[in-house]
Amino acid sequence: MRILITLFIKELRSLFFSPVAWVVLAMVMLINGFSFRAAVAMLESGPQASSIVALTFFSRWFWLSYFFVFPLLTMRLFAEERKLGTFETLFTAPVHSWQVVLAKFSATMFFYCLLWLPSLGNFHLFQFMTKGASEIPQGQIIGSYILLFFLGLFNIAAGCFASALTSNQIVAATLSFTISLLHFLLGVFVLYLGQQVPPQFASFVHYFATVEHIPSFTSGLLDTRPLVYYSSLMVVFLVLTHHVLEFRRWRL
Amino acid sequence: MIEVNSLTKQYAGRTAVDGLSFTVEAGQCVGLLGPNGAGKSTTMRILAGYLSPSSGTARVNGFDVFHDSIKARRSIGYMPENAPLYLDMRVNEYLHFRGALKGLRGRELRKRGIDVMEACGLTASRRKIIATLSKGFCQRVALADALISRPPLLILDEPSNGLDPLQMRHIRELLAELRPQQTILLSTHLLGEVEQSCDRVLLIHRGQVCADDTPRNLVRKLRAATDVKLELQGQGPFEEELAKISGVRKITERKADGEWRRFTLRVEARADIRAVIFEVALQRHWHIRELHRELPSLEDVFVELTEGK
Repeated sequence: MRILITLFIKELRSLFFSPVAWVVLAMVMLINGFSFRAAVAMLESGPQASSIVALTFFSRWFWLSYFFVFPLLTMRLFAEERKLGTFETLFTAPVHSWQVVLAKFSATMFFYCLLWLPSLGNFHLFQFMTKGASEIPQGQIIGSYILLFFLGLFNIAAGCFASALTSNQIVAATLSFTISLLHFLLGVFVLYLGQQVPPQFASFVHYFATVEHIPSFTSGLLDTRPLVYYSSLMVVFLVLTHHVLEFRRWRL
Repeated sequence: MIEVNSLTKQYAGRTAVDGLSFTVEAGQCVGLLGPNGAGKSTTMRILAGYLSPSSGTARVNGFDVFHDSIKARRSIGYMPENAPLYLDMRVNEYLHFRGALKGLRGRELRKRGIDVMEACGLTASRRKIIATLSKGFCQRVALADALISRPPLLILDEPSNGLDPLQMRHIRELLAELRPQQTILLSTHLLGEVEQSCDRVLLIHRGQVCADDTPRNLVRKLRAATDVKLELQGQGPFEEELAKISGVRKITERKADGEWRRFTLRVEARADIRAVIFEVALQRHWHIRELHRELPSLEDVFVELTEGK
């Protein structure tokens, strides 16, 4: 446990001592500002059926940041260590591979959670500015952020896996971006193709289409199926990462 | 301390270590010597638990490096080739992190950090960011890291690689200070380093041990063959006559100008046959233009031995 904490702190340190964390944080805040402003603009245009929360999470601006956050946060995790050669010093210290995987994963998750905190402030600011005239439904906020958290679990685990495969950060980022995008687009395609897809296939894809999960969670509906789905994907990718790291110790 | 038993490591289509067996007793300082690609680094990486052997076993401090990897790693201070470090950390932060990974806590961790920085001459640069350090200082940081948890065994992969002569001497002096109580396995391709630092030398070539002796004996053995060069003119047959001289192992001829013929004689032992050659030349009425003995440099002999095998 102590080793895990040592590794976790070291990861956080190197995240915050690199410009990547700050640039990502700034860009995500900027994009969140845009999506929030877009939601406010919609409210200004006339009465809306949805609340400010739902409007924010539905805007295209919001999902723009979704795609670049994961590759940028995860690409250096293992690729950098491989490049520097510190992979060797790290794994000749008395640490288990799973401790390293878990520490890197949870440090990135920690930062990812920090990333969304400022956007939470937007809603409170809105409530303050409108002097409580506009209701902020707590259920919708909780639902949206829970979905964001679970999406993070899956995507960051996939990013860890991509980073463990290579010593080149660009390659790692490309892989992780492709995994995130393909997974997201799977649902979007089915949504757009509509009638052309056999209904069995459409209802099957429905289970892992992120675009289908967003409306239910942003309306405050906690569906446990996607949560289990994303957590199991996380486990799969973390186990894969662990095996990639252990590969050099396989007896071939 | 180390028991290696018919250790083999195969990479795709290439055998890096081929049935290597040796043991190192506690308190010994053993040098792994060999040309680049001989399998030194692979052997050390297997011992340090970074790679697994394809077959064979290796035990460190009684723990199998494959099955009991964590326990084995706890007994080792390993310094990889080229001293890879986290460039964005400060020296003291890095050593603190590494010490904590190796199980040191609280006051002991701080004390050991100060001790190893002192021992490796890093106290003045403890607040420096590693990226700004010179190669020599990076090597020192890596060595300090290897020492921090007082491991019973030190494995150092080319500790003086890329250092200037002064820095090399620093590392050698440091090793000399550690030596009485410490078991050390170090790899190098510098014979001089082995001569000065080690009790015992394992000469490795193509993944196999081809010599195992004290440096003094090995150097004596290695230095046994000397070359005598001479240039002659007169009535032959030169080679037959020269070959009769006792101690001559091999004769090679190279072209010289005009009537002159140039021979190189590989001579056994430390016998000096120059006077004998002179006698022979007198009897045969040969003219001698040049006659001298060339003591091979250590590097020459090393190349000869590893190429010959």
